[in-house]
Amino acid sequence: MERIKKIRNFCIVAHIDHGKSTLADRLIEKTGTLAKRDMQDQLLDSMELEREKGITIKLTPTKMNYTLDGVEYELNLIDTPGHVDFTYEVSRSLAACEGAILIVDASQGVEAQTLANAYLAIDNNLDILPVVNKIDLPSARPEEVKQEVEDVVGIPAMHAPCISAKDGTNIEQVLEMIVKEFPAPKGDENGKLKALIFDSYYDNFKGAICLVRLFDGNLQVGDKIKMMQTGKVYDVIEVGVFVPNAKPVEQLRAGDVGYLACSIKTISDVEVGDTITKVDNPISEALPGYKKVQPVVFCGIFPVDGAKYEELKEGLEKLKLNDASLQFQPEVSQALGFGFRCGFLGLLHLEIITERLEREFDLDIITTSPSVFYHVYKTNGEMIELSNPSSLPPVVEIDYIEEPIVKASVFTPPEYVGAIMELCQEKRGIYKDLTYLDANRVRLDYTLPLGEIIYDFFDSLKSRTKGYASFDYEMAGYQESDLVKVDILLNGEKCDALSIIVFKDRAYTRGRALVEKLKKIIPRQLFEVPIQAAIGGKIIARETIKAMRKDVLAKCYGGDVTRKRKLLEKQKEGKKRMRKVGSVEIPSEAFMSILKLDDGE
Amino acid sequence: MLGVYIHIPFCESKCAYCAFSSFVKAEDEHKKYIDKVIDEIARYQGEKKIDTIYIGGGTPSVLSMELIDKLIGAIKKHFILAENYEFTIEANPNSLTEEKLVCYKNNGVNRISLGVQSLNDVQLAFIGRKHSASQALEAISLAKKHINNISCDLLIGLKDMDVQQFCGQIDMLAGLGVNHISAYMLQIENGTPLEAMTRANPLLLPDDDQCVEVYDEMVKVLASLGYERYEVSNFAKYGYESRHNFKYWTGDDYIGFGLSAHSYINGRRFANAANFDDYYAGKLANEEILTKNQKLEEHIMLGLRCKAGISKQFLRIKGYNIDENESYAEFLQKGILLDNGDNIKLNPKYYGVSNYIIVKLLP
Repeated sequence: MERIKKIRNFCIVAHIDHGKSTLADRLIEKTGTLAKRDMQDQLLDSMELEREKGITIKLTPTKMNYTLDGVEYELNLIDTPGHVDFTYEVSRSLAACEGAILIVDASQGVEAQTLANAYLAIDNNLDILPVVNKIDLPSARPEEVKQEVEDVVGIPAMHAPCISAKDGTNIEQVLEMIVKEFPAPKGDENGKLKALIFDSYYDNFKGAICLVRLFDGNLQVGDKIKMMQTGKVYDVIEVGVFVPNAKPVEQLRAGDVGYLACSIKTISDVEVGDTITKVDNPISEALPGYKKVQPVVFCGIFPVDGAKYEELKEGLEKLKLNDASLQFQPEVSQALGFGFRCGFLGLLHLEIITERLEREFDLDIITTSPSVFYHVYKTNGEMIELSNPSSLPPVVEIDYIEEPIVKASVFTPPEYVGAIMELCQEKRGIYKDLTYLDANRVRLDYTLPLGEIIYDFFDSLKSRTKGYASFDYEMAGYQESDLVKVDILLNGEKCDALSIIVFKDRAYTRGRALVEKLKKIIPRQLFEVPIQAAIGGKIIARETIKAMRKDVLAKCYGGDVTRKRKLLEKQKEGKKRMRKVGSVEIPSEAFMSILKLDDGE
Repeated sequence: MLGVYIHIPFCESKCAYCAFSSFVKAEDEHKKYIDKVIDEIARYQGEKKIDTIYIGGGTPSVLSMELIDKLIGAIKKHFILAENYEFTIEANPNSLTEEKLVCYKNNGVNRISLGVQSLNDVQLAFIGRKHSASQALEAISLAKKHINNISCDLLIGLKDMDVQQFCGQIDMLAGLGVNHISAYMLQIENGTPLEAMTRANPLLLPDDDQCVEVYDEMVKVLASLGYERYEVSNFAKYGYESRHNFKYWTGDDYIGFGLSAHSYINGRRFANAANFDDYYAGKLANEEILTKNQKLEEHIMLGLRCKAGISKQFLRIKGYNIDENESYAEFLQKGILLDNGDNIKLNPKYYGVSNYIIVKLLP
């Protein structure tokens, strides 16, 4: 059999928690790619955070060998992120594959991202193999779920393997079907080089590494290659595959998935989605590539200790090496000093980046309330884009403001439809459609302002539907909206880092909730501190933190000075996490508190 | 000069707020313990000249006279007591008898610290004290008959606290000739019955604001009666400041004997083990040699709690120029700190929040 006919390139897509990483583990184990002793759970999630949160963030390809009917096949699996923040990365990996395994949880059935991911795969002309996972669960209903896949997703599913990735049940069947169902890649290994960069990461020794899928031609050390989009030319110094660790090989050929290194100094020199060809025998037309990913959620990040600005900058730069979607630029806040305005793909992405800054770079940081990107049309006809509430021009200069909106779909058992509609209503959603997928599942479509989604939508959805509803969204442009800026004044001084942009009708409630929350978070000071919320010059809410009257007047028992000193030392440490705004000391978590505020509070 | 502290970890009963090393034990345990403490004293080979002795607890007055004679005999045998010395023993109103007072006096005790806590029977019962208000008053009179220097402890923040009632008890103590008063805010310590009670009923005790109100009023009343606030929680008639406690606050050396007793000698702080087995085995609970910085921290922390304050020059010699501290300037400007040339003091108005201020002045 011809070499290329023995290759299968595929990815696994699923709704979050339906078992993608576990199935990937089983496939690697079954094919003997890694000895059992080297296995650890969620092998491809190499980041500590990924394992902890049970999510996949980065793409990780693995090459496996599998023998069926005496023929040894080469299976290239590309693991993909499951969270909606990273949909973009899923679509990147799809472009490198011919097939996609669609995992569906045998007890939960089709969820919002099952459908979203299935559509992504269909859009990319991939063959889809449905797999029903978690049949070991007592609540598993594999036959119904198969029917659901056929009805809701609209692809044949009766032949779907029913497996338990956890127990290793029927994994062999999946492997067999990968070979039988998915097409082999097409391409000419002796043709002109045409390779897609579907991801990149930074290696301290080799520089930026490109993850590539070769469609035509071949690639070896010493080749002179050209990135068609950036026009940059490099000498290839290493090519290899992932098994699952990077392993150099002599050559990559059409149909292969692997990596190449060519001493690229910074990751920003690599455009993911770019096409690689050879300098001396180039192709004329590049692959379609990807549209550039745009951050949608923004916040300010500041070091708790102002002197650590440079360290924060370094941390962000290092993270950016492996995460092209992270954006940041310097920002100065009156309250918080020097820091960065950062852009993220979503709240989870934001959370991951801030956690990594704290863990991997040992930084104490302050994050300001997340915001979206607004289009502000001024009375002089000018339009400015901004995400930072404190950059908003004075009210008199504003003609109107537009905010980003999303098309959202929620999948839910019918009994929660009312609760979800109520939630969407509260979040200024506009009802679009309601579809019964089957007797047990309803799909609700809404358009919602993105700004409302980043403001505790997920948590509310989860709690109001006992976790049964799932949610997916895509950006759907901008829409005019009646928005105002609410400022917070501490002891009469405006604290820029606490300003928020909110829907006008909510401004009062939000302002009230915010001052109440701040009253709880800000400890008593030596003097009374009024906390006010204001729109322009108008105060809409006020609370007062009473002056501190006593701290400790306890007895120093029998000369135990050590205990007293340790107590003070502890307090001193705590003070380091405080920020002084005017004469008021604020704990750093206060700046994020705006996010964790429900209107009911 | 060195001070000696002896810890007597026995009580007739455990108070509801107490998280300290004290146990209700039979008398033969007392005897065994005193023997061990005497052994410990005998092993001590450091500085022998002392000018203060403090027998604290627990409740030292639960000890029999025989044991008191034995213990004090051992101290006197091993140490050289300066001519003008202070010798305090702590006592509870219910276990203090005339016989015991005579015994103390004969042994050289010249100061009694009485655990009065409150002169309200409901409050006393609430915190699990075994004495009544009238017993406390009787005990004070009795003590005063034999020993002139009497100190009383009071607790602020008890159930049903009331300004009038609280200040009224100070008048009574003053009328009986009490020379020294220590007034502490009730602290709710983890694992105490009081903690469980307040968890079940958060409104059981007065809140901070009420406590501070009473405290402020009390300070005024004490001042009008001639008691000077020479330390955050301690008030004395002229010449009756606790010399032993001053050693804790000024960084003087002191040696502690007995269960969980603390010592500070030559820059080394250490504490004996807090359970009997470990203590009897000669184990320490902790030990540390203070760094230069820690000494400085302690100096500021303890010094600012005292009326005397601290010396800027002294800080500078120790390598800390407090003028460079941002908060220092702010506190001066706001009148929170009083700067009198070289001397820095905390404005007594802010004694109640001294921790907050001190933390910011640390190097």
